[in-house]
Amino acid sequence: MATLELKNLHAEVAEEGGETILRGVDLEVSSGEIHALMGPNGSGKSTTAKIIAGHPAYEVTEGEVLIHLGADEFGEDFDIPEEKRTWDLLDLEPNERAALGVFLAFQYPAEIEGVTMVNFLRTALNAKLEEREELFEDEDEEAEAEAEATNEDAAGYESSPMEGPADEGEVGVAEFQELLAEKMEQLDMDERFAQRYLNAGFSGGEKKQNEVLQAAILEPSVAVLDEIDSGLDIDRLQDVSRGINALRDETGTGILQITHYQRILDYVEPDHVHIMLDGQVVKSGGPELAEQLEDEGYDWIREEAFEAA
Amino acid sequence: MSVLQETISEETVRELSEARDEPDWLLETRLDALEALDDVDFPDVIRTPGRMWTNLADLDYESMVDPFSQTETKEWEADEGIDVLPFHEAVEHEESLVRDAFGSVVDPETNHLTALSTALFTTGTVVYVPEGVDAEDVTIRTTMNGRSLFNYTLVVTEQSASVTILERQDSGEDLDGARYYSGLTEIVGGENAYVQYGSLQDLDQTTYNYQLKEADIDTYGTVDFIDVNIGSRLTKASVESHLNGDSSESKMVGAFYGHEDQHFDIDARVWHNAEHTTADLVTRGVIDDEARSVYEGVQNVGAGAWDTNSYQRENTLMLSDESEADASPKLIINNHDTEASHSATVGQVDQQDLFYMTSRGVDERLARNMLVEGFYVPVLEEIEVEELREDLTERVRERLQSRD
Repeated sequence: MATLELKNLHAEVAEEGGETILRGVDLEVSSGEIHALMGPNGSGKSTTAKIIAGHPAYEVTEGEVLIHLGADEFGEDFDIPEEKRTWDLLDLEPNERAALGVFLAFQYPAEIEGVTMVNFLRTALNAKLEEREELFEDEDEEAEAEAEATNEDAAGYESSPMEGPADEGEVGVAEFQELLAEKMEQLDMDERFAQRYLNAGFSGGEKKQNEVLQAAILEPSVAVLDEIDSGLDIDRLQDVSRGINALRDETGTGILQITHYQRILDYVEPDHVHIMLDGQVVKSGGPELAEQLEDEGYDWIREEAFEAA
Repeated sequence: MSVLQETISEETVRELSEARDEPDWLLETRLDALEALDDVDFPDVIRTPGRMWTNLADLDYESMVDPFSQTETKEWEADEGIDVLPFHEAVEHEESLVRDAFGSVVDPETNHLTALSTALFTTGTVVYVPEGVDAEDVTIRTTMNGRSLFNYTLVVTEQSASVTILERQDSGEDLDGARYYSGLTEIVGGENAYVQYGSLQDLDQTTYNYQLKEADIDTYGTVDFIDVNIGSRLTKASVESHLNGDSSESKMVGAFYGHEDQHFDIDARVWHNAEHTTADLVTRGVIDDEARSVYEGVQNVGAGAWDTNSYQRENTLMLSDESEADASPKLIINNHDTEASHSATVGQVDQQDLFYMTSRGVDERLARNMLVEGFYVPVLEEIEVEELREDLTERVRERLQSRD
């Protein structure tokens, strides 16, 4: 069981006189729950997602982003001590946040030429597991590991970038390929994608599918999906939705789904719907709230928020 | 304007030639080159306002060039059926072949440094691939041991011959002070012949390096270059293809990685002189620390070059704020029946790419290293010789891992 908690989050663009975008966001997403975060353009939804993952373009001026982990969140063999069950993500690098179970599916995933999917994903999975070990090591172990690390080769994988990494890391090549093939099949993805360069030349829909695939491989505690439904045709929308539901049902991932449209919510049914306006969550409710938005737009919310203020 | 009048005289050249039992025509060629030193300029270099990027004329040749200290270790590997001979053996056994081809592609009097090289070279290789012979994996390894070395390579392919060559240079034991390496490569690409000539320059960082590699390409012939520059203190390297026969082709692929205070001045030039010719120029370079790089690519489409296809792209990736780079892609079209493109970029590692990768759990250093290695993939994909592909990958990785 894990919970991502945003407390009174204020943020602005990280530059001189940067625009204030978030004005006190409160939100909680726990394992196994599906939350939809809706709101008009410019209300701060994507910024919220990026700040959770640690995007350097934003500066948090107030508030907290916490993750609370249950004792066995990373498996029964991985005991999380009492004092390491709550982390302030704002103190951590993006890769450390990933190691603690945070995942962001990008609205516009980067196209990375020269790095194959299979290479990247196995590297990411192993890096995440290794970083997790480091974060939870007690101090004695830490000193030991540091001594060990100086003897090891520095960052880099051992074989050519075209062939993929050598058989090192916790998850070996053969084991990883099996895992990848299984997850790709679930998402109805062509296995040849594994050898292609990460998102390079992918269609919009293929990129989104690939984001869900990566989440399936990395098995996050909480996944933030930033407009995963944009640019998808109906077949792919169904594939992607099936992937998201599987993530929740099989991995127990908590989902924070950012969307403009009711459409995907027919396939990925939210337990909670939140509406964002001008950098705040102004209203929360059940799935009926999304339907009401679909019918009536945001004006009534604006009026309600205005009256309340 | 010879910079070397003191050390290099007619006697010097005669002595070098006599010691090698050279025929008169070769001695005459050397003496002509020596005489031309006074008349020809240094190679062209890029100028931007207020700045000449590579000042070849001001190098201290006096201290670097010692015609009688040229020592090297050379190794050759080749298939049966073709001749790969040390230059002076080739002069002995294949004199008419060498005589016909020598200086036919690289004019010794092209510039001051080619003339110097022709006057003083003491070692070299001749690769001769007879008609119809398909030769794989010729390897030429040169380790420079003395203060200076002038090296020469001649590749002659007859009709429908094919060969893949890797030529590499590195340095032996350290010497105090600067060193000078000069290499000329001539490639005669026969009708319907295929040559891939790969080069890996990995000289030590006290060496000033000048190289010119030039190919003449006959009808339906292909000569592809892979030019990799890793070592040296300063490099001026030009790769040039003359598409002289109809339907001839040339791919000109380059890669460099400069760090510390290295300086690379890289040129790729193609001349479309016939009909239906194709050229593809691709260069990828990384610079780090206080390294500098300047690239010039030139596509010349002649008036008679109907139905030309010519493409050029160059990308330089800067890993530090102190590094400097300039790139200049040029396209000169004298025939409208041409499909051509040219582009060059100088940039840094993309922050969005980095964030994407780190958000998936890869730390920033590893993510950056993966991006840089991936940056060379378009070059790696073109390399047919495994040794070159592996060594380029390995050297790039070593450099990345030695970063702070």
